[in-house]
Amino acid sequence: MGQFILRYRKHEELRWISHLDLKRTLERAMRRARLPLALTQGHNPRPKLSFGPPLPLGATSDAELITIHLSEALEAGQLKDRLNQQLPPGLQMLEAWSLPVYRKKETFGDIELAEYVVSLRGNLEPEDLQRRVDQLLASSELVVQRGGERPERTVDLRPLIHRLEVRGEDKSSLELLMSLRTGSHGGARPQEVVALLGLDSETHVSRYHRRALSALPRPAGKPGLGQGRKWRRQTRKESETRP
Amino acid sequence: MQISEFEALLPRVTKPARYIDGEWNAVHKDWGAARVRFALVYPDVYEVGMSHLGLHILYHILNSHPDYLAERAYAPWTDMEAELRKAGLPLVSLESRTPLRRFHVIGITLPYELTYANALNILDLAGVPPRAADRSDDHPLVIGGGPGAVNPEPMAPFFDAILVGEGEEAVLEIAEAAALPSRQAALARLAQIPGVYVPSLYRYSPGGPGPVGEVTPVDGAPASVARRYVDDLDSAPFPIKQLVPFLDTVHSRVTLEIMRGCTRGCRFCQAGAVYGSRRERKLETLLRQAEEAVAATGYDEVSLLAFTSVDHSHIEELVSGLVERLGKQGVGVALPSLRADAFSVAIADHIQQVRKTGLTFAPEAGTARLRSVINKQMTEDDLFAAADAAFSSGWTRLKLYFMIGLPTETDEDVEAIGDLVHRMVAFGRGALGARRGRLHLAVSAAAFVPKPHTPFQWMGQDEMETLAHKQRLLQGALRERAVKLSWTDPAVSALEAAISRGDRRVGEAIGRAWQLGARFDSWGEHFQFARWQQAFREMGLDLRDYANQALPLDAPLAWDHIGCGMDKGALRRQADRALKGEEA
Repeated sequence: MGQFILRYRKHEELRWISHLDLKRTLERAMRRARLPLALTQGHNPRPKLSFGPPLPLGATSDAELITIHLSEALEAGQLKDRLNQQLPPGLQMLEAWSLPVYRKKETFGDIELAEYVVSLRGNLEPEDLQRRVDQLLASSELVVQRGGERPERTVDLRPLIHRLEVRGEDKSSLELLMSLRTGSHGGARPQEVVALLGLDSETHVSRYHRRALSALPRPAGKPGLGQGRKWRRQTRKESETRP
Repeated sequence: MQISEFEALLPRVTKPARYIDGEWNAVHKDWGAARVRFALVYPDVYEVGMSHLGLHILYHILNSHPDYLAERAYAPWTDMEAELRKAGLPLVSLESRTPLRRFHVIGITLPYELTYANALNILDLAGVPPRAADRSDDHPLVIGGGPGAVNPEPMAPFFDAILVGEGEEAVLEIAEAAALPSRQAALARLAQIPGVYVPSLYRYSPGGPGPVGEVTPVDGAPASVARRYVDDLDSAPFPIKQLVPFLDTVHSRVTLEIMRGCTRGCRFCQAGAVYGSRRERKLETLLRQAEEAVAATGYDEVSLLAFTSVDHSHIEELVSGLVERLGKQGVGVALPSLRADAFSVAIADHIQQVRKTGLTFAPEAGTARLRSVINKQMTEDDLFAAADAAFSSGWTRLKLYFMIGLPTETDEDVEAIGDLVHRMVAFGRGALGARRGRLHLAVSAAAFVPKPHTPFQWMGQDEMETLAHKQRLLQGALRERAVKLSWTDPAVSALEAAISRGDRRVGEAIGRAWQLGARFDSWGEHFQFARWQQAFREMGLDLRDYANQALPLDAPLAWDHIGCGMDKGALRRQADRALKGEEA
């Protein structure tokens, strides 16, 4: 019975499957695992699932989130283990929590930030990269064209870049850390930021990796879910109260 | 982080998931431990190829055998082809990313004529010479099979061997032949396997324009090759652990083959020749296979595969058994092929308790006269009774399949399709009452394509202008909000007919069309008729001799050496009766 949240990893070959493919893949794995899924009412009953913000195609992650509703009691750890036995290589459930019964349906609406680590191929000078980052952060506006959407539109990415830092001491360990807005009000993709830095994904980047999802930090004293803490920690704390 | 050359291409192509490993139930066998290695290939894009049951069956059989190994490949989409060629990389298998040319056998399905250029392209991308005569002991054997094999001649220049008929048993015999050390020895052995045709051991003597001519054996090959046939379908191997794709494929569901073959004898249809007479799996077998396959795949739908699934002798028990066992898990049942009668609708109604599926009826022709010509034993009363049952069970959308360009067809027959559809619209509105606004009829009007080993193999296809004229007639007759009409491009149908009735000379034209850039001809955005016309012309051929000409009844035809159950005399008698408007 009840609602469970799982954090999972998507990597290796499976970074090439889309969000829709991923949904199908997970649903089928749940059916193979014979989980007692709670189904929606109506003509076309479907499992009640909520997914966190879609991961860009080609990126790996160990911060993906899903909510599962079950119709029978099951221990969170068992749910995780049973599901893992049915997942193809490249997908792995890392943590599972059951939510208290009074919690309404979790749809991850308060997730607003995605944190990415962009590993570089070692062909950039740290000073050069830092200069590009400083320049970009100094801009008041970063308007890009978005193809693929109809009608084609322009988006200002500057307000969507929450944080952008260079990490690593030398050329070979250089990486970019970025916190980007995500969610239903629009977001930025790490590939777009790399392009804005005047870099080329194929030449300069070896990996895009999402490592955390979180709510936006809010001014002190104002109520708001998360209070700037990592979303998953906040959830874990709540789950400690479970029976 | 090390990225292989092939992986480096993935970010540059659409749907990279077409080329990745790791689908649930994919098999990874020890390369070194396998004595014979097969690359099984479907010559169309992944989403289409994954839906072909035949390849799954062979994959399952070969990988269940301790000595053999099978991996898969599909036609790379045009963007991936460009990347492979630019990078100078060969086409690789999905499972172990091994270049196809390192397998012992490249097995290619021949599903329909418009994929043939893709088959040549795949060989070329694999670094294997597309022409059989150019290959040596260092190259894999290229072996074909599938529906197209009943007329292997257009692909004869490119294949080392082609299996005519069913592969469940033959594939193991083929594997042993492929284990022989030399190409020559392997071909000699293959030619002795019942159902296997080795084109290089036969000579073609054309006897005029079109597919008129004789194929005769040399070097002691058998004079004719009879279609291979599995006697007992119930005990034939069936893949329980069906491959589960990541991508949304044409059929993302458990395919349960409940019957094989067809004995209805529609005179235009090749199904009887390709799949033989009717065989069934037993009720208990099917219920068990369905449950096991759902458990092994996690699919939420089971589709019953047969030419007419309601002809199964236990269809009612089967459907209620499946609904009872699978409905609780939220798993639906789909019946893609129905007869147009009230019984079929009742079965479909039972199914929709779990999930609503579409209903399709195929009257094929608009008049009773023309339905007698084609031996489609369905009356208008049957059709309206079926529609009545459908509307009163809650359906508001129906699909109706027709053909245009059938032998003896006149403009009146075409107009009668329009008339029939109009009467169906009026009937539907009446039956649906307040819900009349939701009535929707999807009407498809495909062009008749003459197929070898059918009574209509001698009949010419309508000229393209005539087909276009008939399509306009139908469009004019069906200006109706509740009706959506679809049809095929007459040029596509002409090419399909020309290859379908092709001989080895048409094979040369296919080779030329591929060189001229033909790919994915069943995809509207890639089909270029001018390319094909040029290829036929350059080979000194007229496409119309193959597509449109009536063939002499008493002359040898290019596929007479392939035996498909019905002898030529019987086909000719059916053709005679058809022209007199008599049913079988």
